[in-house]
Amino acid sequence: MQVWTKLFAKSPFKPLIKHADVVLNTVETLEKALQAWYACDYEGMREFAIEVDHLEDVADRIKEEIRDSLSSKLMMAVAREDVIIYLHMQDKVADAAEDTAKWLLVKKPDCVPTEAKDIILEMGMESIKAAKLVHEAIVQMDRVIESGFTEGEIEREYEIIRQIESVENKIDGLDTKLMQLVFENADSMSWGDGFYILNIARTLSNISDKAKDAAERIRLMMNK
Amino acid sequence: MAWAIGANDAANSMSTAVGAKAITPKQAVIIAGLLEFTGAYFFGKSVTETIRKGILDPTMITDPMVLVYGSVAALLAATIWLIVATKFGLPVSTTHSIIGGIAGYGIVYAGTAIVNWGKMGQVVLSWILSPIVGAIMAYFIFKAFTKSIFERKDPVRSARIWSPFWIGLAFVVIGTMFYIKVLHGKDLKTGVLMYGVPLGIVVFVVTYLLIKLRFPSSDPFIGVEAIFRKAQVLTSGYVALAHGANDVANAIGPVAAVYAVATMGLGGMQVPVPKWILAMGGLGIAIGVATYGYRVMETVGKKITELTNTRGFTIDFSAATVVLAASWLGLPISTTHTVVGAVIGIGLARGVKAINKDIVRDIIISWFVTVPVAGLISAAIFKLLMIVG
Repeated sequence: MQVWTKLFAKSPFKPLIKHADVVLNTVETLEKALQAWYACDYEGMREFAIEVDHLEDVADRIKEEIRDSLSSKLMMAVAREDVIIYLHMQDKVADAAEDTAKWLLVKKPDCVPTEAKDIILEMGMESIKAAKLVHEAIVQMDRVIESGFTEGEIEREYEIIRQIESVENKIDGLDTKLMQLVFENADSMSWGDGFYILNIARTLSNISDKAKDAAERIRLMMNK
Repeated sequence: MAWAIGANDAANSMSTAVGAKAITPKQAVIIAGLLEFTGAYFFGKSVTETIRKGILDPTMITDPMVLVYGSVAALLAATIWLIVATKFGLPVSTTHSIIGGIAGYGIVYAGTAIVNWGKMGQVVLSWILSPIVGAIMAYFIFKAFTKSIFERKDPVRSARIWSPFWIGLAFVVIGTMFYIKVLHGKDLKTGVLMYGVPLGIVVFVVTYLLIKLRFPSSDPFIGVEAIFRKAQVLTSGYVALAHGANDVANAIGPVAAVYAVATMGLGGMQVPVPKWILAMGGLGIAIGVATYGYRVMETVGKKITELTNTRGFTIDFSAATVVLAASWLGLPISTTHTVVGAVIGIGLARGVKAINKDIVRDIIISWFVTVPVAGLISAAIFKLLMIVG
């Protein structure tokens, strides 16, 4: 009667952490691409941007595997729907990094004013913080379950969520600052350059937006 | 039959310890083999009698040979069903099988009136209640566990104090049952006060001192798990002991009935179950564990990665308490289902990450299928034996 081997289903949390690892790696690689972009090293940037695209594919594959294994036949410590939406949002972080990488590739960066470049690089660094915090949040969620949903561990999780929200706020601010900068320099900038800068900013701020959505889903997981 | 119990069912008794990596499959086989035998030999008496005499009305069996053929048919039917079910990976209960077998031949011989339906209802109720009680107990133990250790401001300090308390409490139950089942004590209060509590206190003090001397880690999670990894070896042993005490009856109950006919020439007489029959049953279980149970343990050890030591301890503690309490009441219950109930209880307390609902459904179906199927097989064998005999 080998009921034991069948009774315990495969928990999605370790694969979710594995997916978060890849997402973090994607955003970190994007940051390297942004640094090369800042230094006007187009070739270097290109290599990193392609790597971002590749990593996003890996994240997608893991996402599909997790989705396939998350059948409604599982009785879980958290709601299945929350896990699926969380995974979707976590994956969107990698998608946003890939979108940014695509925008970086569309033209050579030598025309971008240094002031705008500074803001974009800062946004990139903050995005890494957001991705790292999402990673931390899912690792902590595993710990919350491990502890049997103890208040101390839940509070630690809330703290990570608050940090994600704070990073998202900061990026939003930088995004607004960049928009203002582009419109202030509208006369000296072509329509295409402005469009290019604003789209990089938009996709970068998407990273933290999705990180925030993912964090929100974790909050719901704990409130069941 | 005893071999089949040992091969399949007994392996479950140590599964939580093996699954949580507290012991190796090899160690589990040795411990389970010895304790199943001890449980069967020392603890098995009263439950054996309940099954043997309780299901059928012995006054309606006038021909002693009916009891002999019927018992053989029930044993064969239960064993066949158990082997078939195991081959298809169905989680069936040995207790359900043997009771189905006994009822099956009884109905063929004298109609439904021979079955003591009151007793049967009580037994069926206990099958339904045992996983529910197991689940409730595990739920609350797990919650209390979490509150007393992990939710405290200083979990390491709490772990130092509360871990010995929980381990001590497990031994209060063991001590009490030792008095009732081994020493055949009647008064529960005496058992608790004279045996349970003193043993619990000794274990508490020993564990407390051992932890004070060397706490495994400054991290409460790692530290607590390390403490309970050791405690789990003891609680799993406790489950093995309880399992032996409770389930040996499935194998040797009908044998005891045959023995009564052979020695006294009468069916249904109140004869004590000879110790050598219990020893035979215990030995069969132990051999089953050693020859086939090893493979089960090995699979469990490799596959279960979702079980921590604290969860394993909670499951063992809850299940064993329920099983031994049932054994004290003379109710034949399924260890596996109580353990499964305890797992679900922890799952409901959000302590287990993922449980396979399909398997839970299969288990529930198996409760209802096993008795009629074993009954039908037994009825067929009994008919055949009556014709041939």
